[in-house]
Amino acid sequence: MSPETVHTIIDDLGALLLLTMIVIVAATQIYRAIYAVAAQSLLIAVAGAVLAASTGNVDLWVIAGVTLAVKALVLPWVLHRVVQRMNVRREVEPVIPVAATLALTVAVVVMSFQLSASLGSVGRAITGNALPVGIALTLLGVLVMATQKTALTQMVGLFASENGIFFTAMAVTQGMPLIIEIGVILDVILAALVMAIMVLRVRSTVDADIADLDELRG
Amino acid sequence: MDVGSGPSLMAACYGAGALASLLARWSGRWALGVGHAAALAGAVAGLGVSLGVLLDDSGRALIQPLPALFPFARLSLAVDGLSAYFLLVVSLVAVAAAVYGPAYLRAHSPDAGAGRQAAQVLALNVFLGSMAFVCCAGDALTFLFCWEGMTLASWVLVVSDDRDGENARAGLLYMVMAHGGTALLLVAFLTLTERGGAFDFVALRAAAADLDGTTRTTLFFLAFGGFAAKAGVVPLHVWLPRAHPAAPSHVSALMSGVMLKVAIYGMLRFAFDLLAPPASALPSSWGWTVLFVGTASAVLGVLYALQQHDLKRLLAFHSVENVGIILIGLGLAMILWRREGAGALATVALTAALLHTVNHAAFKGLLFLGAGSVLCRTHVRNIEELGGLARRMPWTSGLFLLGAVAISGLPPLNGFVSEWLTFQVLLGGAGRFHGPAGLGIVVSAALLALTGGLAAACFAKAFGVTFLGRPRTPHAEHATEAPPSMIAGMVWLAAVCVALGVAPGYAMRLLDAPTAELLHGAGASAVVTARGPLVLSTALTPSGADATAISMTMVAALLLALTAPAWVLRRGWRRAPPRAAPTWTCGMTPTARFDYTATAFAKPLRLVFAALYRPRRAVTRETAGTPYVVRRIHYAGEVVDLAETHVYQRVERDVSALAQAIRARSTGRIHGYILFVLGALFVTLLLFGAGPR
Amino acid sequence: MTVDRPLGLVLLEMSLLVLLGPLVTGTIQKLKARLQCRQGAGVLQPYRDLAKLLGKGTVQADTASGFFRSVPVLVLAATVAAAALVPVLRAGPPAFPLGDAVMLLGLLALARFLTAVGALDAGGAFGGMGASREMTVAPLVEPALMLVVFSTAVVAGTTELGALAGQRGTSWFPAWRAADFLGLAAMLVLLPAETGRIPVDNPDTHLELTMLHEGMLLEHSGPGLACMVLASHTRQLVMLGLVSALFFPVGPVDGAGVPGLLVGAGAFAAKILLLATFLALVESSYAKLRFFRVPQYLGVGFVCALLALGLRIL
Repeated sequence: MSPETVHTIIDDLGALLLLTMIVIVAATQIYRAIYAVAAQSLLIAVAGAVLAASTGNVDLWVIAGVTLAVKALVLPWVLHRVVQRMNVRREVEPVIPVAATLALTVAVVVMSFQLSASLGSVGRAITGNALPVGIALTLLGVLVMATQKTALTQMVGLFASENGIFFTAMAVTQGMPLIIEIGVILDVILAALVMAIMVLRVRSTVDADIADLDELRG
Repeated sequence: MDVGSGPSLMAACYGAGALASLLARWSGRWALGVGHAAALAGAVAGLGVSLGVLLDDSGRALIQPLPALFPFARLSLAVDGLSAYFLLVVSLVAVAAAVYGPAYLRAHSPDAGAGRQAAQVLALNVFLGSMAFVCCAGDALTFLFCWEGMTLASWVLVVSDDRDGENARAGLLYMVMAHGGTALLLVAFLTLTERGGAFDFVALRAAAADLDGTTRTTLFFLAFGGFAAKAGVVPLHVWLPRAHPAAPSHVSALMSGVMLKVAIYGMLRFAFDLLAPPASALPSSWGWTVLFVGTASAVLGVLYALQQHDLKRLLAFHSVENVGIILIGLGLAMILWRREGAGALATVALTAALLHTVNHAAFKGLLFLGAGSVLCRTHVRNIEELGGLARRMPWTSGLFLLGAVAISGLPPLNGFVSEWLTFQVLLGGAGRFHGPAGLGIVVSAALLALTGGLAAACFAKAFGVTFLGRPRTPHAEHATEAPPSMIAGMVWLAAVCVALGVAPGYAMRLLDAPTAELLHGAGASAVVTARGPLVLSTALTPSGADATAISMTMVAALLLALTAPAWVLRRGWRRAPPRAAPTWTCGMTPTARFDYTATAFAKPLRLVFAALYRPRRAVTRETAGTPYVVRRIHYAGEVVDLAETHVYQRVERDVSALAQAIRARSTGRIHGYILFVLGALFVTLLLFGAGPR
Repeated sequence: MTVDRPLGLVLLEMSLLVLLGPLVTGTIQKLKARLQCRQGAGVLQPYRDLAKLLGKGTVQADTASGFFRSVPVLVLAATVAAAALVPVLRAGPPAFPLGDAVMLLGLLALARFLTAVGALDAGGAFGGMGASREMTVAPLVEPALMLVVFSTAVVAGTTELGALAGQRGTSWFPAWRAADFLGLAAMLVLLPAETGRIPVDNPDTHLELTMLHEGMLLEHSGPGLACMVLASHTRQLVMLGLVSALFFPVGPVDGAGVPGLLVGAGAFAAKILLLATFLALVESSYAKLRFFRVPQYLGVGFVCALLALGLRIL
C-alpha cells in the first residue's frame, strides 16, 4: 500500500471512530452503547491491520488480532451477559442532559484539535487527523465515565478511552512495544471483570447502583 | 429639480407638518390630515434626495452648511452614499406610515382629544424629521441633536396613548436605556472632537487617523454600546419589546423598522468611516464581538418572540432577531475587510447587512401596519382572543401573510435574499478561517438557520392563530376590513417586499455608493450582480471560478409557472364545487375552543428550549368540598426574559441597596447638598482642569 | 471541465422526480412489508391512491377561509420547484442559475410553512397539533441540514448542487475524505425527520398521539389531498436526491449524449434504491421516538454534521 492510501484510510477510520463515539455519548439504551464500543474496537483493529500491512511490523498484527478478539468480541459479550443477568433497566441514565453532553463533545473535539496543533508532533504523526482524534476519543471516554450513572456505561467509557490511547499510540509511534500493549489490554480485561463482578454483587445484595454510593457518606 | 434643494424641502415639509398640530385647536381631524400629508411630502422629498445621491455616478457627497447656531461649531449636512441609503430606508417606511396614519388614529381612538392628536402629529413629524437628519448630519453636534430629537419624539408617541400606566412605565424604561446609550455616544464623540478641535466629521476622521490601538478600540466599543442600546441588541433589548408596541401602530412600524436602522447607520459610520485605521484591517476584536452579539440577538430574539401572545410585542421581539441578522453580516464585513485573501467577500457581507436593513424595514413595517389594522378593528392585542379574521379582513390577512413569508426568510420574497447572501458569506468565511475561528463562523451559520426555522414557526403561529380558524371572542367576530388608506399603506410596503424579493439585482445599484464608499473597493453591483441584474452571484473562492448563483426572478417565474398545472390538478377530474362540512372533531360539535391556541402551538418549543426559557407555571384547583369534584382549574404560565431576571433585576437590586445606604447617611438639608455639589465641582476642576492649555 | 445542464434536461429531471416520487414511496412500503413478512400492496399503490383521490369531490371545513383552497396548489408548486434544483441524471451546474442548495432548503421550508398554516385554517385540534409539532421539528432539522450542505460546500466554495456533484465526479466512497463519512452519517440521521418517517414521524398512522405530517393533511380531501400527498412524495424523493447529489456520484460529468444520460439514470435508480432500503430497514427495526426525545435524536445528527465540518476546517 502506498503511504497516501494508508494516510487516507487512517483518516477515514478516524472519522468513523468519532462517529461511534458520538453514538456512545448519545446512546439512550445500554445495548446501543455496547455495540458502538464493539464497533469502535473493530475499527481500531482494522487500523492496526492497515498499519501492520503497510509497515510490515509483526507486533502490530498481533495487537490488531488481540484487539479484535478481546475488545471487539469478548468484552462486549461479557457486558452483554452482565446486562442480561442483571435484568437492569436498559435505559441509560445520564447525570446531565444529553444535549449538554453533546455540546461538551464538540468542545472536547475542538480542544483536541487545538491541542494537537500546538503539540507540534503532528508532523511526525502518520496523518493529520489521527492524533487529535485519538486525544478526543480518550477524553470523550472519560467524559462518558463522568456523565453516566451506571457502572456498565462507565465501563463502556473506559473502553472507549482505552481505544483512544491505542489509536494515538499506533498513529504516532507506529505501535508501542508489544509487551506494553498487551499489558494495557490485560489491565482493561481485569478492570472489566472486577467491575462486572462488583456490579453484579452490589446489585444482588443491596439492589443499588454506583450512583447511590454517595448515600454512604456519614 | 436640483437635489441640492432637497434637504431644505424635506425640513420645510416636516416643519409644516409639525406646525399643522396647531390646527388641532379648531379641528383634530384637519390636524391629523394635514400633518400626515406634510409628512408624506417630506418622505417623498427624502426619497428624491436619497435616490438623487445614490444614482449620481460622480459619487460626490451632497454637502450643505447649516446656519451657525453656535459660535464654536460649524454645522453642516453631508449626504454621502451611506447617508443617502439610510435616508432611503427611513423615507420608504415613512411614506407608508404617513398614508396609514390618519385613518388609523381616527379608527383606533375615535374619542381622542384634540390635545393628544396635536401632540401625536407634532411628535410624528419631529420624529421623522430627526431620523432623516441624523442620517444626513455632517457633524457631531447635528448628529447628537437630531439623535436626541428622535428619542424624545418617539418617547412622546410611546406615552401618548396611555390607558393604564403601562405605557408610561415602558416609556420610562425606554428613556433610561436611550439616555444611557446617548451618554456613551457623547463620550465617544467628545473624545474625538477634543482631539480634532472641531465638530464636523472631516475633522473627526482626521483626529482618528493617529489614534493608538487601545484608544481606537475603546472608542469603538463606547460607540457600539451606545448604538446597541438603541438597536435593541441583546442584552440591551429589554426596553424594545415594551416601548415599541406601546406606540400607535404606524409609529411602531417606524420605531421597529427604521429607528433601529438609524443605530445601525451609526455603527457603520463609526466602524468603517470615522474610526477605521487608514490602511489596515479593523482590529479583530471588533468584528468578532459584533458577530457574536448579533448571533445571540438573532437566536434569543426569535426564541422570546415565539412565546409572546401579544401580536405587537411578538413583532417587537422579531426586531431584536433581525437586528441580530444584520449584525451577523456587519460583523463578517468587519472581520473580512482588508484581510489577506478575503477578496470581495467583505463587500458581499456588507451588501447582505445593508440589504437586510431595507428588507427588514419593509416587512417589519408591513407586519406592524397589519397588526395595527387588526388592533384598530378589534381593540385586542392578545392573539388568543382573535382568530377567524381572514374571512373578515381578507386584504389585511393576505398582506400580513406576505409579510410573514418575507420575515421568515422564505423564497421568493426579500427576506430570503439577504439571508442567502449572509449564508454565502458565512460559508466563505468558514473556508478562510481555520481552527476555532472557522468553527465559530460555522456555529453562527447553524444558529442563523435555526433562527430562520424558528421565525417560520413563530409566524405560522402568529398568522394562523390570529387570522385562521374560528373567532374566539366577539371582538374578532365583529371585525371588519380596515379603511382603504390603511390598506394602501400596507400595499406600498408589500410591493417593496415583492420587488426586492423578485428582482433584487436592480436594488444592488442603490447599494453601490455605500459599499464602495465604506470599503474603498468595488461596489455591490460589480460584485454581486456581476452576471447581470437578474442573477445574484458570489465568488467565495479567491479564484472566483466556482461562483454560486441564484436568480430570484427565475425562481419566482418557476413557482408561478408551476402554479398553473398544480391548479388544474387541484380541481380534480370531477370539477365538482367543494362541499362545506364541519371540521372533524371526533364526532363532537366543533366550537372555537377546539382551535389550537398560541400557547399550545408554542408549547413543544417551550419544552425543547426549557433551559433558556425557565418557564413557570402555576395551577390552582377550586374544588367543591372534596378533592374529587373540581369546579375550576386556573392555569398561569409565564416565560421570563433571562436578561431581565439575570442582569437587570440584579442591577436594580444593587442600585436600590446602594441608594438605601446613601439615604441613611443623607441629612435632608438643602444646604448640605449645595455644598456637596460645589465640592464635587471643585474636585473635578482640580482633576481635569489642569490639562494642557 | 463541467458542462452546463441545459433547460430541457433540468425540466426532464424535475418531471422525473415528480413522476417517480410515488413509486419510491411504494417501493419503501413494499420493502417494509417484506421485511415484516407481509405481502404488502404493489409498488404502484400510491399512484392508484392518487388517481382515486383526484376523482373524488372536495369537502371543505365550513370555517376555513379562501386561503385554504389554494394551500395544496402553492405547496405542490413550491415542492416541484425544489425538485427542479436537484441534479439527477448528470452533474454540472445548470446553464442558468437554478440549483442552489440553500434555495432548495428554502423552497422546502416554504412548502412546510404553507402546509402548517393551512392546517391551522380548518380550526381543528388535529391540524393545530400536527402543525405545532412539525414546526417544532423543522427548526431543529434545518441547522443540521445546512451544516451538512456546508460540510461539502466549504471545499468547493459554492453551494451550487450541480457543481458540488461535479466536484465529486464519478468517484465512489473509496475516494471519500474523512469528513464525508460523518456528513453522510448526519444526513442519514436527518433523513427520517425530513421524509416524515420513523423514528421521528409515522406515515402509516392517523392516531393523534403519533402523527406529525398526517395531522396537517387531515382536513384536506379529494384532489386537494392528492396535491398534498403528491407533494410529500416529491419532497421525499427530492431529499433522497439531495443526499445522492451531495455524497454519491451523479452520472458522468461530460456525458452529453444519450448513453451518458442512461448511465446517469441507472446510477440514480441504484442510489435511490439503496437509500429507500435504508429507510425501510430503519422503519422496520426502530420504534417511533417519544416526541420530546426527537431533539436528542436530531442532536446526534447535528453534532455529526458539526464535526464533519470541523474535520474540514480545524
